[in-house]
Amino acid sequence: MFDLSRWQELFQNLNVFAEGFGVTVSVSILSLIFMLLISLVVGLLRCSENRAVRACLLAYINFFQNTPLVIQILFMYNVLPRAGVMLSPFTCGLLGLSLYTGAFGASIVEAAIKAVPKGQHEAAYSQGMNYTQTMFLIVLPQAVRIALPPLANQCVNMIKNSSVLALIAGGDLMYRADSWASDNLYYTQSFIFTGLLYLALCLPVSKWAERLEKKAAHI
Amino acid sequence: MNSFLTFDTTLFLLRGLGITLVIASCTIVLSFILGSVLGIARYSGKGPAAKIAVLYIDTIRNIPLLLFIIGFRFTMPLPPVVSAVTAMTVFTSAMVAEIVRGGLNGISHGQWEAAYSQGFSYIGTLVHVVLPQAVRKIRKPLMGQFVTAIKDTSFCSVIAVKELMYSGTIIMGKYVKSIQVIALYAVIALVYFSVNMLLLALSKKMIKEQE
Amino acid sequence: MKHVGKIIAVGMVVMAVSGFAFAKNSALDKIKKSGVLKVGVKEDVPKFGYLNPSTNEHEGFEIDLAKAIAKKIFGDETKIKFTGVTAKTRGPLLDTGEVDLVLATFTVTDARRKVYDFSDIYFTDAVGIMTKKASGIKSFADLNGKTIGVAQSATTKKALQEGADKAGITIKFSEYATYPEIKTALDSGRIDAFSVDQAILLGYMEDSVMLLPEHFEEQPYGAAIKKGNTELLNLVNGVIEDMKKNGELDSLLAKNGLK
Repeated sequence: MFDLSRWQELFQNLNVFAEGFGVTVSVSILSLIFMLLISLVVGLLRCSENRAVRACLLAYINFFQNTPLVIQILFMYNVLPRAGVMLSPFTCGLLGLSLYTGAFGASIVEAAIKAVPKGQHEAAYSQGMNYTQTMFLIVLPQAVRIALPPLANQCVNMIKNSSVLALIAGGDLMYRADSWASDNLYYTQSFIFTGLLYLALCLPVSKWAERLEKKAAHI
Repeated sequence: MNSFLTFDTTLFLLRGLGITLVIASCTIVLSFILGSVLGIARYSGKGPAAKIAVLYIDTIRNIPLLLFIIGFRFTMPLPPVVSAVTAMTVFTSAMVAEIVRGGLNGISHGQWEAAYSQGFSYIGTLVHVVLPQAVRKIRKPLMGQFVTAIKDTSFCSVIAVKELMYSGTIIMGKYVKSIQVIALYAVIALVYFSVNMLLLALSKKMIKEQE
Repeated sequence: MKHVGKIIAVGMVVMAVSGFAFAKNSALDKIKKSGVLKVGVKEDVPKFGYLNPSTNEHEGFEIDLAKAIAKKIFGDETKIKFTGVTAKTRGPLLDTGEVDLVLATFTVTDARRKVYDFSDIYFTDAVGIMTKKASGIKSFADLNGKTIGVAQSATTKKALQEGADKAGITIKFSEYATYPEIKTALDSGRIDAFSVDQAILLGYMEDSVMLLPEHFEEQPYGAAIKKGNTELLNLVNGVIEDMKKNGELDSLLAKNGLK
């Protein structure tokens, strides 16, 4: 581990890690956007009065929450092409991460909406607002504030889970680190450096989530 | 269609499921112990124990599990399954620690003050008053973490540990027809799904019975 | 009673000193003391190192070779413990001491010799390429601009790159952790070819795929041992040499369908 020459070689090959880091960051940001959209839409619809809609979405949530992300991604990578749908590894990762983390996000949003006191609904109706106005103007803003801390946590999970791209030759940080380490047999150096890179990426988000939690606790 | 569900392959998959459950259970038990210690240490906020706990949790929680699994396998002289359990325990205990700390944070200060007024020490309060209440609060997120542990065992397939996912991968290498591959994935997904739903149902029942 | 304490103290010193003397054992002595030879082998390469799913037993040429070595050390070929390895894990496991010996279609190269000690060559293979019959790819040149799936840490990447440079074509690589994944990726069309030592490819042959006629770089297989473990190395080389001389190696090859 303290072999300086190995560390030297690592720093000479920084571009390998940089490319991987770039892929990880981009897939994380894009997945984040889709994940938030899915969480909001599905979470909202889960509170609708339509039983069929609620049941269908419950099936989606249950399925994606209780099966491993690995199998979801491998399915997209190896099975869809046989049906004629050839998605790039990046897209597979994007879809998989969004749908998987979105299922958890949806549960969080649903719980947050239900956590807004009924009094708010009643007050809004007494003012003459209909369901849609109540939802979007009164309930949702409060729900979002409740949901934000656990959602931020899910973001961190998602960035970590982006490493699943390594299983489908997706070119992310984990894949590059592994590939480079395997070529040179410099495992310890490669993995310590990669750990530090993930730390640099995730720690700020974690700390932000922690601050959100503290703020929520004081309300 | 050539059924791939011959006796041999089914037995092979079942063995894989067995390994999955073994890895997950060991991880759950060990990380519960380690995680509780860390969570309490961090909550207490004072002294070197708290500082170490913070360092451990903040570092481990922000690194992917896959990195631990691959890293440990290549740098430690442990048999494959032990290496996998170690990596998963290190990772999961950091998550459990945060759950435990969250539970402890949720106990109002009034409890502490009341206990002190009755002459309880810090440890005494912790053990007899605060922890029992905290444990009830964190049951749900803990169950969620355990379900996650079962799913996370699928990452161990990269180090060729013969848990369910890798066992399925090996079989898949031998079958080519699309419908067989789809069916195999479906079967494996169904197994994970059923195991996890069963676990959640059992835990809900246990929680109801205790109340 | 005072004297009992003194006797115990002296006894402990004696034990500690003799402990130091015994601690200067060679690695081979440690293996003998442990009573079992720990060997890293492949589990997914029929004929070489294969874990039979029906019997849950290890079988193959390298398994038989390992047993012969165990017999030489202990006089008993059952005093052996197999650990399944992949191209990725076989090297590190030697480094950490989890296995004493690796017999896992390990190709000997100069670069690898710097990191591990290798025994004499017991088999020579070559890198082969598998493609789907339906893809219409009939020769290496057809792979221009295509993607080839390889295992991480195998010598395949380098051998293919050299071959591609010579033939003046460009190829891309997709790396995977285990062989079954590469075969599945080939089937689903993610990669255009699956390349690794022919011995390993043969284990994945079936109707919809074919092997390209070209071979690349000869792949000499040797048993890998941690650097500096000369006693074990000499023992293994002795076994291999004896087996070559008395024809036992050939009969093992024939027994496993490799001749």
